Amino acid sequence: MSDPSSINGGAAVAMVGKDCVAIACDLRLGNQSLGVANNFEKIFNYDHTFLALTGLASDVTTLSEVFRLKTNLYKMREERSIEPETFANLVSSTLYQKRFGPYFIGPLVAGINSLTGKPFVCGFDLIGCIDYAKDFVVSGTATDQLYGMCESLYEPGLGPDDLFETISQAFLSAVDRDALSGWGAVVYVITKDKVTKRLLKTRQD
Amino acid sequence: MDIILGIKLNDSVLIATSKAVTRGISVLKASDDKTRNLGDHSAMAFTGESGDTVQFAEYVQANLKLFSVRQNYELSPKAMASFVRKELATSIRSRKPFQVNVLIGGCDINKETPETSLYWIDYLGTNVELPYAAHGYAAFYALSLLDRHYKPDLNEEEGIKLLQLCNKELSTRMPIDFKGLRVKVINSQGVKEYDDLTAL
Amino acid sequence: MADRYSFSLTTFSPSGKLVQIEYALNAVKQGVTSLGIKATNGIVLATEKTVHNTLVKSDSFNKIELLTGDIGVTYAGMNPDFRVLVDKSRKLAHTNYKRVYNENPPVKILTSDIAKTIQEATQSGGVRPFGVSLLVGGYDDATLSKKKNEGDPNASGFSLYQVDPSGSFYPWKATAIGKNSSSAKTFLEKRYNEELELEDAIHIALLTLKETIEGEMNGKTIEIVVIGEPDNAKMGFQGLEGATGPRFKRLTPQEIDDRLSEL
Repeated sequence: MSDPSSINGGAAVAMVGKDCVAIACDLRLGNQSLGVANNFEKIFNYDHTFLALTGLASDVTTLSEVFRLKTNLYKMREERSIEPETFANLVSSTLYQKRFGPYFIGPLVAGINSLTGKPFVCGFDLIGCIDYAKDFVVSGTATDQLYGMCESLYEPGLGPDDLFETISQAFLSAVDRDALSGWGAVVYVITKDKVTKRLLKTRQD
Repeated sequence: MDIILGIKLNDSVLIATSKAVTRGISVLKASDDKTRNLGDHSAMAFTGESGDTVQFAEYVQANLKLFSVRQNYELSPKAMASFVRKELATSIRSRKPFQVNVLIGGCDINKETPETSLYWIDYLGTNVELPYAAHGYAAFYALSLLDRHYKPDLNEEEGIKLLQLCNKELSTRMPIDFKGLRVKVINSQGVKEYDDLTAL
Repeated sequence: MADRYSFSLTTFSPSGKLVQIEYALNAVKQGVTSLGIKATNGIVLATEKTVHNTLVKSDSFNKIELLTGDIGVTYAGMNPDFRVLVDKSRKLAHTNYKRVYNENPPVKILTSDIAKTIQEATQSGGVRPFGVSLLVGGYDDATLSKKKNEGDPNASGFSLYQVDPSGSFYPWKATAIGKNSSSAKTFLEKRYNEELELEDAIHIALLTLKETIEGEMNGKTIEIVVIGEPDNAKMGFQGLEGATGPRFKRLTPQEIDDRLSEL
């Protein structure tokens, strides 16, 4: 009922393809059963590294700003953008610093390493334990539904277009079975030299 | 049970707030003002724990005033909303959090064409920009009406009509008399105040 | 209570100089010569191990130390100050970097963190500046990819920095610090070229030391560290994708003597 991570609702997923990754989130922000906003994006990018944050909306905003600060400082100090793997460890250590009073979020990181060209996705629990995955990671109030859809639709080695199709179908079917997620969706398909952002139309209930 | 509503129109924002102060089964006051101006072109409506509400609103008001006195310019409504959000987001993890929900309506006059905006912020520090918004139980009734009748290019007169529609529904459905709605209209000219919606 | 009355000892003289820093530089100038050379495939750090007494076990102490697996440091000046800085630097590498990003700091980042501690000693109350200049040399991927992106045909991940008691630091291709640094630098200038490989660099390091050394020169009286190819055997484990062993390698007295005999 008053579980902080399911007050506002929301879901996200990230998938690995061949030389590409995709990451998607819904647009709903609610207050329990009441839908408040249908324009609340949960994916943020720090140059070529993408972060999805589900959970308590206040913490989503706070953390997106914290990581904006940290990655900007990193960029000035190191004269280079942060890589997805490095960023994942930054997320982990930042969350663990609040081990005994955590942010109520479920982050996902996705991106392509600019040095090695390797696609990377991972997920976290709210205190920063990293869940490395070869295929896909899911997060939010539609986690159970997303696992089901991804397990059945995902196949390895998909190109950017097929990966978009797969992640979109999996995501839409999952959020349609969750009352707290949906109200529109955003999908990013990331390749080494191009990022495509697509807005998906979904059921509005 | 307080009512606060906000509607963004083509070149203004409306903020409507109930005038009743209730404690348990009693109505203590029928002329309450649940708003504070945050600058020349912005106002904030608030509900929540009595005591916290006015304390928080005037704290924010004073700090934004201090900023404009020191820097000789006013923060944009977006920046004001971010400031209020951060205050509430820090407060929620403190020993005694402010239990205050707010709506901020403003007009950014420093854009090429003045830009109006409405922000919905709750006591957790959730901040979203919306075309129309409400807090509390009133939201359940008012939002349904607004979903049906809202258009982004409404003018001030049509906006008032829409508020009157909401008022009528709320008067019918809410369990106690909320003693009418006070209205603030925010546009590039500043903030206009009206003591009662029905007089408009 | 103590800090309330601890004024900074390093204060400006009317002419605009910080004489305490100049004194620290004098301490460095009296120190034993150390040098560093950046080759195409590695870094060489070399120094003289002055043994004041024949009874001292010269193999029981080092003047070139490991900071991270891929970064080494040596000094000219006061040995105790150096050891303090090595401790602080190793700790910085972890608290400011490894524990945040789970990877070791690039040479430039660690050098600037060390430089920061050194600078703080020139402006804080109750302390004196560090009486050392440092040579920090090492390898990192960040430098390599940055150089590659700039289109540098000789791109490598190796870099060599000097840090002074003032806290200022600068990158070098080859340099020397300490007692005979100016003559050593002149020597290095003549011998250095962009195509040097590690073995050539070791050779030049030995020749340079030979010019400046006081007393006998052998594997026990000089110390050499190379930072070259990673040594995965030193990891103590295998099978972790992407993991590489330390590049830091201290030459044994035998290895030094072998090279000296071919000089």
